[in-house]
Amino acid sequence: MAGISLVNITKRWGNFIGVDNQSLSIEDKEFLVLLGPSGCGKTTTMRMIAGLEEPTSGDVLIGDRRVNDDLPKDRDIAMVFQNYGLYPHMSVADNIAYPLRVRGVAKSEIPERVKIAAEQVELLDFLDRKPKALSGGQRQRVALARAIVRTPQVFLMDEPLSNLDAKLRVTMRAELKNLSHRLQVTTVYVTHDQIEAMTLADRVAVMHQGKILQLGTPAQIYNDPRSLFVAGFIGSPAMNLIEGEIKDGAFFADGVRVVETTLQARSNLILGIRPEDIQVVPQGQGDFDAPVFASENTGESVLMTIHAGKQRLTAKADRYATAAIDEVIGLKIDRSHIYLFDKTTEARIDD
Amino acid sequence: MAITGRQRKQFWNSIQIVLILIFTLIMLVPIAWIALAAFKQHVDVYQLKLFFTPTFENFQTVFEKPYELGEKLKNSTIVATATVMIAIPVATCAAYSFSRFDLRGRTILLVLILATQFVPAVVIVLPFFVMFRDLGLLDTLQGLVLVNTAIVMPFAIWMIKGFIDGIPIDTEEAALVDGSTRLQVIRNIVLPMAAPGLVTACIFCFIIAWNEFLFALILTNREAVTLPVGLALFKAEEGDLWNLLAAAGIIIMVPMFILALIIRKHFVQGMTMGAVR
Repeated sequence: MAGISLVNITKRWGNFIGVDNQSLSIEDKEFLVLLGPSGCGKTTTMRMIAGLEEPTSGDVLIGDRRVNDDLPKDRDIAMVFQNYGLYPHMSVADNIAYPLRVRGVAKSEIPERVKIAAEQVELLDFLDRKPKALSGGQRQRVALARAIVRTPQVFLMDEPLSNLDAKLRVTMRAELKNLSHRLQVTTVYVTHDQIEAMTLADRVAVMHQGKILQLGTPAQIYNDPRSLFVAGFIGSPAMNLIEGEIKDGAFFADGVRVVETTLQARSNLILGIRPEDIQVVPQGQGDFDAPVFASENTGESVLMTIHAGKQRLTAKADRYATAAIDEVIGLKIDRSHIYLFDKTTEARIDD
Repeated sequence: MAITGRQRKQFWNSIQIVLILIFTLIMLVPIAWIALAAFKQHVDVYQLKLFFTPTFENFQTVFEKPYELGEKLKNSTIVATATVMIAIPVATCAAYSFSRFDLRGRTILLVLILATQFVPAVVIVLPFFVMFRDLGLLDTLQGLVLVNTAIVMPFAIWMIKGFIDGIPIDTEEAALVDGSTRLQVIRNIVLPMAAPGLVTACIFCFIIAWNEFLFALILTNREAVTLPVGLALFKAEEGDLWNLLAAAGIIIMVPMFILALIIRKHFVQGMTMGAVR
């Protein structure tokens, strides 16, 4: 077992910067998720750990060993690919056995270890099939079994669930969580899906434009976003981000007095507030009143979109809430969960 | 009576079938003529008789003096086989590099390789003759293998590259991470996955080398004569010995028919292989 350290790592292709001088320390046995929109450098970061991409500058360490010049095979890692990367000409059993075979594990030992790995991902009945004859979820399991058949120092997973349908993704997510808990191996997991990140990670690194914007536990990332990007990226439905200013002891958006504050007057601000931190109350009983623009029932809750000046805000009301379009409702804001950002620097302003 | 859509469809279908039959006939008649002539006596050759007593005499005669087709058959087999055995491994390496590595000037190189195919053979056959004379390669099998390898190489590179391009890069990277060296990746993953393509390329190259005529005609005269050039022997003083020519033609064609049948199967396999996604 070993941790991973990235030290001032940069990846550049000509003028394009994939990863911009970032450092990151991943603890032994930690489950770290690299989260970000496509093109943010998360996959590149993982590929540099794997040795499939060479850093332009900086060092990659696995354990205490600098592995920059090591081939992927010498880094003692296992990787699960987005498209699974199965060997179509080999049976499931041969796919799983490949890492053992190519590393010269004794022939007599291989079938037993393949069986154990296949058992862990419930593949025992499919060992003789070719990958072509498997469903997407089963192929994903083969890729997982192939990764766990050896006990590598590090697991790397590159959007492993993104090719599965929505329902299967939820099931496999739980299985991954259970598996990683049992195996206790340092894992780096790349995804653009914030729910996967929140549910699986010990720590999340949110990346954007080649930079790690914030590194922290899922709770920290969700409850204490340090920048506008992280605030807007994490959470579904997304956090409300309202432009406005503070004057006369309150935050105003387009002249609408949204919420009181003790902060001193300041303009050029963005107020962040999550939909679930806005309570829908009868007119006149909240912090401000606003007309309903749309009301959407998702089953577990009702999302109310309202107008505050020209800007729209979404509040998450309870599942039985009803409101007609243009009806004026009151909105009460949870003061412990409001975030202020500087509109220019996009940085959080601490209160 | 109105013509229904179905009737119209049937009408066009029958037109298609008739056209296909006409073209098949045009293609097959010469081959059928050769096939018949090969079993005829010399005197019967020019008569379009469909019924005659077949004779195998022609097939015997062509192997006897002065024709000695066996020698040519041996030469052709050696040249075509050696060409394939050199060209395919080398072309596979080249194709893999072109497909997977970010080589400087890759596109230009690939186009240049293809461009060699556009030079008419007649234009370069004389310089070849001069070079081969100076190198002592005239009328040798080695020389012919060299020429044929050069002829099939661009074709083989492009064809195999196409098949390797079709292998998802994920699969190779998975193998690298799983513990393979680059060579193990090629041996364990790329070659098996590209196998239908390799077989197809082998056979295509064999056919090209087997049928190659111009260079063999100019660069050989006694020792290294191949089958296609050997056919010219049957122009005798008493006219063209069509029955012998036909017998020799059959001997040239039959291996090609067999190979074509084999490729057909692999060709389809190669097209439908597709990656596991």
